[in-house]
Amino acid sequence: MTPELALGIEKVLFTEEQIEHRIGEVADQISERYKDKSLKLIGVLKGSVFFLAELARRLRVPVKIDFLAISSFSNRSGAPGLVRIAKDLDDSIEGEDVLLIEDIVDTGFTLRYLLQTLSSRGPNSLAVCTFLDRNSRRIVQVPVEYRCFEIPDRFVIGFGLDYNQLYRNLNYVAVLKPDRD
Amino acid sequence: MGLISVSGQPGCRFEEVARIAANRLGFELVTASRIASLVEHEFAALPTVPDKAYLDLVASIVARLATTHHLVICGDGLELLSKQLPGMLRVHIVAPDSVRVGNIMLDERLDRPAARQSIRAMEERQRAGRKQKFGLSGLPAHLFDLILNAEQLDPEHLAGLIVSAAHSAGLIERGYLSAAAEAQLQFRCRLRLSKHGIVPPDKIALPRKSFAHPSEEIFANLLDFYRIPWEYEPRSFPIQWDRDGKVSEAFTPDFYLPEFDLYVELTTMKQSLVTRKNRKVKLLRELYPHVNIQVFYQKDFENLIFKYGLAERSLAKV
Repeated sequence: MTPELALGIEKVLFTEEQIEHRIGEVADQISERYKDKSLKLIGVLKGSVFFLAELARRLRVPVKIDFLAISSFSNRSGAPGLVRIAKDLDDSIEGEDVLLIEDIVDTGFTLRYLLQTLSSRGPNSLAVCTFLDRNSRRIVQVPVEYRCFEIPDRFVIGFGLDYNQLYRNLNYVAVLKPDRD
Repeated sequence: MGLISVSGQPGCRFEEVARIAANRLGFELVTASRIASLVEHEFAALPTVPDKAYLDLVASIVARLATTHHLVICGDGLELLSKQLPGMLRVHIVAPDSVRVGNIMLDERLDRPAARQSIRAMEERQRAGRKQKFGLSGLPAHLFDLILNAEQLDPEHLAGLIVSAAHSAGLIERGYLSAAAEAQLQFRCRLRLSKHGIVPPDKIALPRKSFAHPSEEIFANLLDFYRIPWEYEPRSFPIQWDRDGKVSEAFTPDFYLPEFDLYVELTTMKQSLVTRKNRKVKLLRELYPHVNIQVFYQKDFENLIFKYGLAERSLAKV
């Protein structure tokens, strides 16, 4: 039994080499767009940490880094899937060129909330870079300027993405077996 | 009669606040565009509506609606209806320039200078509209019961404050506008409208919104939270016809999101229903390729909850 199968993994979607190569390409695009500027990367905890770290290493422009965390809740009228900022940014983004870093974008609800929140804080520019884009699940159209990979409608783990907080540290992206207990 | 007016500075998303407050209170939301279409429907025979008659036209419509609904009316200058409809809670939302410009940047996909320019243009239109329709050059604070600042509070919080104020003011306990009170009010409105040669017709109806399934109400709340305008079951699409060409099956998607020109169909956990709905959606896409439709599955809810939540999930449900 291979280590992947032992982890309950159905198949590897993107290998370490593919990820490394693609992040390099995206980093080049970003470096080109923001040349002669400094860039503030804002990572959404926890999923984006691995991607942000790798991307930041490959950028050729001065980079500042900050993080925010959000948490889910249900309101009194019973709507689940609502989010609130659980950990806010440490510094102001007023006048900064901001790149919001996500691990995955699917329905677009959360990203819309984050963009609305951040745009009201006076950044010079605000753009989005996501590691994975599950575009087939999109409900809310949100502007995603940079994406590394588009993925099918499957549950994926690795390179920051978790299942019950596990698997984030895998250096590849994989599909988890759906019948796993 | 429970009646709340909500207005605000351009770009501070007061319409969203009004929508959330209306939902929480169980009041009917009547937006400026809804008022415009009701005026058009009610007074279709008029070539143009004189500016000075606008407030009385709206008062006439609101009075009719208030006999069967509690209302949140949303639009510029509607706080002035309190002369005709006393007891109304008048709310105004403000926000600093940076917040409003940020909202417009996002909503209209503009850069900062263009968004600022857009705000200035909207403010100018608002000022001109108030002057023309209501003869007001400023926006005195005493016209409002509650002025809220959206700088630090999001629409959910602001709506919460309106709901609290509505409870404190006893709006919830009030009955609908009585037939006698409405008749008296209509008489006064008609008298003033007659000066402009306008005769209001008899009836106007506003169907009450009711959801077929609790999950739809939950989804509507979710859309409200994320400040996404929606319409519930606005259109049916024929998807099957019998031999005589009569429609034998139609499909009515649960929601329409005008901002994205997108229909959304919700599904539950029941696999048989999911399969049936998937079939309908597939047919709809084949027959109406220009119509955008997306299915919102139970797992999409779960992705929203669990990604940033503490609870563990069972992958079997994903």
